[in-house]
Amino acid sequence: MVPVSQETGQGTSTIHEVLERVCSAMHIAEGFLPPAHAIAWSVASAPFVVHGVRSLTREVKEHPESTLLLGASGAFTFVLSALKLPSVTGSCSHPTGTGLGAVLFRPPVMAVLGTITLLFQALLLAHGGLTTLGANVFSMAVVGPWAGYAVYRLLRRFDVPLMVTVFFGAFVADLSTYCVTSVQLALAFPDPSSGFPGALGKFASIFAVTQLPLAVSEGLLTVFVMRLLTQSSKGELTRLGVLVTGGRTKGGADAVADTGTEAVAR
Amino acid sequence: MLPIDAAAHSSRWRHRHPVDKAVLGLGLTVLAISLPPWPGAALVLVTALVVMLGPAGVPARRLWRAYRVPLGFCVTGALPLLVQVGAPDHFVALADGGPVRAGELLLRTSAASLGVLLLAFTTPMSDLLPRLVRAGVPAPVVDVALVTYRMSFLLLDSVRRIREAQAARLGHSTRAAEWRSLAGLGATAFVRAFDRAARLQDGLAGRGYDGTLRVLVPEARVSVRFTAAGAALLAALAALTFVLRSVLERPL
Repeated sequence: MVPVSQETGQGTSTIHEVLERVCSAMHIAEGFLPPAHAIAWSVASAPFVVHGVRSLTREVKEHPESTLLLGASGAFTFVLSALKLPSVTGSCSHPTGTGLGAVLFRPPVMAVLGTITLLFQALLLAHGGLTTLGANVFSMAVVGPWAGYAVYRLLRRFDVPLMVTVFFGAFVADLSTYCVTSVQLALAFPDPSSGFPGALGKFASIFAVTQLPLAVSEGLLTVFVMRLLTQSSKGELTRLGVLVTGGRTKGGADAVADTGTEAVAR
Repeated sequence: MLPIDAAAHSSRWRHRHPVDKAVLGLGLTVLAISLPPWPGAALVLVTALVVMLGPAGVPARRLWRAYRVPLGFCVTGALPLLVQVGAPDHFVALADGGPVRAGELLLRTSAASLGVLLLAFTTPMSDLLPRLVRAGVPAPVVDVALVTYRMSFLLLDSVRRIREAQAARLGHSTRAAEWRSLAGLGATAFVRAFDRAARLQDGLAGRGYDGTLRVLVPEARVSVRFTAAGAALLAALAALTFVLRSVLERPL
């Protein structure tokens, strides 16, 4: 989404790099949508964000220390979107981070963290915008995480290995984000002769060349990150519910083995 | 610190109340998307530029560095409007009125972006976020946003240092090494974020943390004169747009 040099203010970027980032980011820029569309997408996002806010507020009230962990999660999501991602085609881009975020923090929390991240990106990096915040939240903080998480949960239910589910979760989250953005743009700017389908074809084809390889790249990166995390941060992953310590009995008793942490479906 | 936030902290309007600047900046954005692009968005664009480079004292170079990002998206997004698909003669053909529609979209988007940049370049997030509670945002959400904001800088700095260390150890010399380094970077960011959160939690617990993060917000009062002047400017822009539009549409 955003270059490291942009965040730190170091280094320079060529116009080509800027365009490449912008194409890969798929944030809808400020003022891009007509007012009616901007309001409609905000209304569509609102229930998901309100649901996330309520669950986050409840969590913080029950466990005040969660504020810091959730803040850390938000910062991680923000920074994750700043990593430069080598694409399998040889170019490079930035991950959306929605798949990994959904697996780690679950979609309702991601709706809030994603909204905060998008607000920061709009005000601190000039990525996205405030009038298009609703549309961007819908694609990147609602549909992406929910689609990725649904695939992740579905595959886990069939006992597919964790890393395979993580790959497809991130892949689908990334791809669905871009598909929804294409739909949003096509609805706002229908083609003069073929209407919405033609416009969807135009917007989708512009990004299809880069987005499919990038979705694969994001899936691979998420697998690599998760592999490292299962080695180095078992405690945190267990606390987040991604991993459950092995040896739990069928009856759900507290008999938990000291060793043999394994990934199971939540 | 991020360039826009750094500029906001040293802005001439730094000590003005965020509401003053929001009325002007977001008002310009709303005008840009609501008024007819020509001449409305063009007037908004020129006004926003004059206000930012003049009274607000935003450095032109910094503004360009931030502005070219949304501008790039606008150009990319406007390109599909130039063509149409499924025309009777050709599957893909130049759209009738496509350049006009693309030009209007470019004008509207670039003007609207400047309105938000006016707010961003003059208002640090640390001034804005705590005041969102008064706007009705639940306090726990604002607290999480504040922690996210403050921790992001530290994490970004860590990521930059780790990248430099990886590069110094030939971590980006081959494709495989690059992937390994990137995965290590993501995992380390996660570990550092949670480690820092745990240490912050320990520190706050030792100081009687009750679930509320109390931060000092710089004193500022809403300036009626500034806000009224901003509203008058917006009203004048809207009126001028409709006057100019009626003049331009009048047959010669």
